[in-house]
Amino acid sequence: MTTATAATETAVDREAPTALTGAWRAFTLQLALFKHVWHGTVFTSVLLPILYMVSIGIGVGAYIDPASLGGLDYAAFIAPGLICSVAVMMLGNDMVFPVFGGYADWGGGYLAQRATPLRPVDILNGHLAYAVLFRPFTNCTIVAVVMAFFGVYTSWWAAFAVIAAALVSAAMAPWMHAWASTLKNDSNLNMIFRFAVMPISLFSGVFFPADQMPAFLQPLVWISPLWHGTELARAATADVAPALPPYAHIAYLALLAVTGWFAARRVIERRLNF
Amino acid sequence: MPDDNEILVSAADLRKSYGEHEAVRGVDFEIRRGEAFGFLGANGAGKSTTMRMIGCVSQPTGGTLEVFGRDPHTEGAAIRARLGVVPQDNTLDDMLTVFENLVVYAGYFGIRKKAARAKAEELLDFVQLSARAKDQVSDLSGGMQRRLAIARSLINDPELVILDEPTTGLDPQARHLVWERLFQLKHRGVSILLTTHYMDEAEQLCDRLVVMDEGRIIASGSPRELIDTHVTKEVVELRFGTAHTAELAALAHTLDGVGAQIEPLPDKILVYTDDADDTNAALEARDIHPSSVLARRATLEDVFLRLTGRALVEDEA
Repeated sequence: MTTATAATETAVDREAPTALTGAWRAFTLQLALFKHVWHGTVFTSVLLPILYMVSIGIGVGAYIDPASLGGLDYAAFIAPGLICSVAVMMLGNDMVFPVFGGYADWGGGYLAQRATPLRPVDILNGHLAYAVLFRPFTNCTIVAVVMAFFGVYTSWWAAFAVIAAALVSAAMAPWMHAWASTLKNDSNLNMIFRFAVMPISLFSGVFFPADQMPAFLQPLVWISPLWHGTELARAATADVAPALPPYAHIAYLALLAVTGWFAARRVIERRLNF
Repeated sequence: MPDDNEILVSAADLRKSYGEHEAVRGVDFEIRRGEAFGFLGANGAGKSTTMRMIGCVSQPTGGTLEVFGRDPHTEGAAIRARLGVVPQDNTLDDMLTVFENLVVYAGYFGIRKKAARAKAEELLDFVQLSARAKDQVSDLSGGMQRRLAIARSLINDPELVILDEPTTGLDPQARHLVWERLFQLKHRGVSILLTTHYMDEAEQLCDRLVVMDEGRIIASGSPRELIDTHVTKEVVELRFGTAHTAELAALAHTLDGVGAQIEPLPDKILVYTDDADDTNAALEARDIHPSSVLARRATLEDVFLRLTGRALVEDEA
């Protein structure tokens, strides 16, 4: 074989990667980028939860009668939702600008990957693995540990709150990826914060019981992935029964994840097949 | 042992349409191992579209295409594992260092970390960027970024390197550095496929090339063959003060017979001739005195002009 540089011949895989290998290879780009920005996540994962817990959990909580929350201390009430909220907040960073930039302008990481054995679906899976697995299981775990110092857990089952956060990511990430992949200019990128991240964070039963919302807003709560995740997480950390049976919450999040993945795959395949 | 006559890429009646627009309108070509093959043409001629199909990121809408004897439609990923690609806009990651750009890219080909690092060091040396290994990509000049993109394309020891407009947007010095590295690659027997709208680039680098215009191949051969076939050995450029377009077209009629063919352009008249001295003598004999006379050898630019009636790079013509 003709080698480009005479000195060494490198062991190169000359065949198409499997789906898992392809996703892993694409994921390594996100990992390399994370090494450059991890310090920024200290704010999201450590300082932000502390600020929330001190100001709202303890500060506002002092005015809230635990009896109104089924006997639950207010800090313990908001902690599980905050773990899931951090997952949503991270998606706002990971599944919007980097996705849009992957197709051009700010580096074109997807375009570079596309010229290699990676297929569009590998590129999608690699980025989703980062947003849905790596980020929740690192950053949300840190958040969960920080919360432990506020004494808000009833048992080790609380660890499942991180899985609930990952489920919320799984439900939302592919849809956000699909949306950001359809954008042709960056002027609309911030819309996701105004019309998705922000309202979802406020109206998903994180800071107050969702049934306190006016009846006409209830359907918005029911469709919010964060509400389903928060219900699951609160069941894990505070041992309170969720609004629906756990399997129903999980099934809804899984349905969003699967349908979202097919939508995202369709969009990325269109964008990366020229 | 590699077979020098082995065909790496073959296309027959290859077509690509986007809706109503037909970007590539049935092209045929073969690229052999070890050769430097070029697509020469103006912007929008269909060069990059053809390259994308060869690079297996764009599906042909008609005709047949084989790369390494395989079908890009069903075996795209395996074909891409053997290709090196230098895209026109580099697609380097600004957030990563020079070195990381290479190592991460190596991972896409399943190259293990240790081997990737060794290869990255070797390639940075090859493109003379070793001293910048730890710098962010955004700190590099345009020429350096292009050299880094070339280094990246070699990470998997590709059997064919595809370069899309490798020196567009670079200053002359940076262009020469890129050319010099590509020469080295050629010398080492790497098969190269490039698109360009610079005729000097095509002449210097390509063993064989095709001229594309409006989605079709209008001529093919070595640079020398193309010049010999389509234009005369020499060209005399005549300028007549500030005279242009219509005046020059009128003047061109008075030049009949001073060369093999007369081509009036907006700012000058080209006289295609096998002997510039004869042409000059003929002008003298007819008492025609241009304000400037430049005799030069014919180039691919002239071939393109003769074949299409247009300059390759309109704003530079």
